Amino acid sequence: MNKQQSSDGPTDAQPGDVGKGAIYDHLELLAEMGQEFASSLDIQASLKRAIEHITEYVDAEGGALFLLEEDGKILRCHACIGPTEITGLTLKSDRGIVGRCVMSNHGEIVRDAAKDPAFHSQVDATTGFTTRSILCAPMSVKDERIGAIELINKRGGDGLFADADLHLLQAMSASAALAILNARMAEKLVEQERVARELELAAEIQRSLLPKPGDGDFPVAGVNHAARTVSGDFYDFFTLEDGRICFNLGDVSGKGMNAALLMAKTASVFRCLGKTLHQPGKLLSRINAEICETVTRGMFVTMVGGLYDPKTGIVRLANAGHEPPLFHDTAGAFNSLPADAPPIGILPILDDGGDYPEIELTLDGGTLYIFTDGVTEGYLEDGRELEVGGLKKLLRENAGAIPGDRLAAVIARIDRGNTALRDDLTMIAIDDRAAHARRAAGGEAPTPRAAARPADGNDEVLLAVSVPSQPDRLKLIRNAVAETARLCGCSEDVGRDIVIAVDEACQNIIRHAYGGSPDGEISLEIRRRGGELVFLLRDYAKAIDVSAVKPRDLADVRPGGLGTHFIREVMDEVTFLPPPQDGGNLLRLVKRLS
Amino acid sequence: MKHEIREHDGATVVALTGDIDLQNSPEARKVLLSCVEMKRPVLVDLSGVGYIDSSGVASLVESLQMARKSGSKLALVAVSDSARRVLGLARLDKVFTICATVEEGLSKVR
Repeated sequence: MNKQQSSDGPTDAQPGDVGKGAIYDHLELLAEMGQEFASSLDIQASLKRAIEHITEYVDAEGGALFLLEEDGKILRCHACIGPTEITGLTLKSDRGIVGRCVMSNHGEIVRDAAKDPAFHSQVDATTGFTTRSILCAPMSVKDERIGAIELINKRGGDGLFADADLHLLQAMSASAALAILNARMAEKLVEQERVARELELAAEIQRSLLPKPGDGDFPVAGVNHAARTVSGDFYDFFTLEDGRICFNLGDVSGKGMNAALLMAKTASVFRCLGKTLHQPGKLLSRINAEICETVTRGMFVTMVGGLYDPKTGIVRLANAGHEPPLFHDTAGAFNSLPADAPPIGILPILDDGGDYPEIELTLDGGTLYIFTDGVTEGYLEDGRELEVGGLKKLLRENAGAIPGDRLAAVIARIDRGNTALRDDLTMIAIDDRAAHARRAAGGEAPTPRAAARPADGNDEVLLAVSVPSQPDRLKLIRNAVAETARLCGCSEDVGRDIVIAVDEACQNIIRHAYGGSPDGEISLEIRRRGGELVFLLRDYAKAIDVSAVKPRDLADVRPGGLGTHFIREVMDEVTFLPPPQDGGNLLRLVKRLS
Repeated sequence: MKHEIREHDGATVVALTGDIDLQNSPEARKVLLSCVEMKRPVLVDLSGVGYIDSSGVASLVESLQMARKSGSKLALVAVSDSARRVLGLARLDKVFTICATVEEGLSKVR
């Protein structure tokens, strides 16, 4: 065999020299090919260069490089050189001499191609080229078959390939295979990096949807840590023209890009509608209708949205199937505020056809926390979940810190930076402490402390009456209100609405504040302030529990709840002001006249 | 508030007029429930209602619920603008059968 090989060798030089020289040269060639694949991102061009080098080096008339398609069933010529152009030619992976070579994973020399039954003679027939001998070597790395290199017709001499040529080609094929595999992996990496970069861009846009931290003692703070690059959670807060702060926090079902996109949509719709629609229950039902129109089946959003008024400490919120927010009062107790309405994106119309139920509470110097289950279900260092109990403990321990630092302290216990997060972590805090102190100092309390107080410079008092707390005096009030509305140029419809709201408010005083007793007194003052009508309703009963006054489920037609619903429907603002110094309750209703 | 009950073609027609507010909604409730108890279709004529509040609406709802329970029908006819507004605010305008005239009401409740 060795003898045969040396006599058939490509040169007449001494065998030892041939070996050394050939190895040296072919190492150089391999190095060059490796370099080529590594430096170029264009595999196709590198393949072309490789087959050129190899064909030239082995001194063949032509050469072709075949790669297996991904499914492993087709061989495709990716590069070729020589008299016949067959780039793009495909054949079944078990056909032809190339196919046989790939399947057996062995190189071979075919000295008379025409006699080999596997020879694919059609190419010769169409090109007029005569294939005499073929040298073919498979390309594979470990067990992974990649393709084969085929050389045609040795130049000079008898035109036949020798065993030495086969060994050389096998060595070069193996190197080419490795280079191709590396290049493919590099290409995959580049693709992965591109995807990662796009995700990072998406995350950047998401972060830009989050509000910027407020300065100093701004009462609302929030935090969001994504478990992956992008997040399915969101929060937002912004100050309205009248000084109230609109806030929300939501959690989209699922994680990843689809959740992130729905998050972006929901957050945007909230921000847009929240600027003009100041009733949280109505706002959430509008968002629900919008999301239901386009949401992907099976996805939904749980969300808390509301308004906080630093001038009164009152929060009104609606909860669409979200984790109950926690209210930490100044006495140190935690109160949970559960939701009984479904998440957004499930039912286009709620069961009762109405809005999301609202909850109103007075923070009175306390803090309201809203968070996603990623926080309560987050893992602590010891592998246990934080749970609501753990959250309360952490909040209590850090109660002295500013709101942002309190949130950071909680998050730091779950996101320790060394393990992947189980879920996105999102929290906001609405802290009434500073505003409460200002209110107590009287510095920024712009609201009248009693209905009897003289009007501000800009206010015009239109009506001031007092009546006993008796049902038969309601008609008197209604007539007075109707006339006052007419005086201000209200349309008949608006006037009628205002009458309904004031009548219901007076009823509530009679029924709830005075408990039906006819001996109380109700004072009503109507003022005009710019384009607004302000109604101040004062009673002298025991202070009522404001949090208990809320519109009820409309299916429940107990008058108290229904009346409060009417008031909220009709009026643009409904606020219980802090109890006047001489006792009783003070309710302010505002109707904006367009 | 005043009320007037008459029989019309096998149905009970009850007309409420004036204001139905906290003061007289208990009376309105009593009148409406007594009509429902006659186990005949009931038409409530609200054309003369100048004002109706949440307690009045609650009386209407209670009557409707009672009627349904006993298998008879109740419809509102000739609803005045102010009553219609309050029913709309309560989102009950789709819950009640509301007809323009007593005749139309009769065709709906029989």
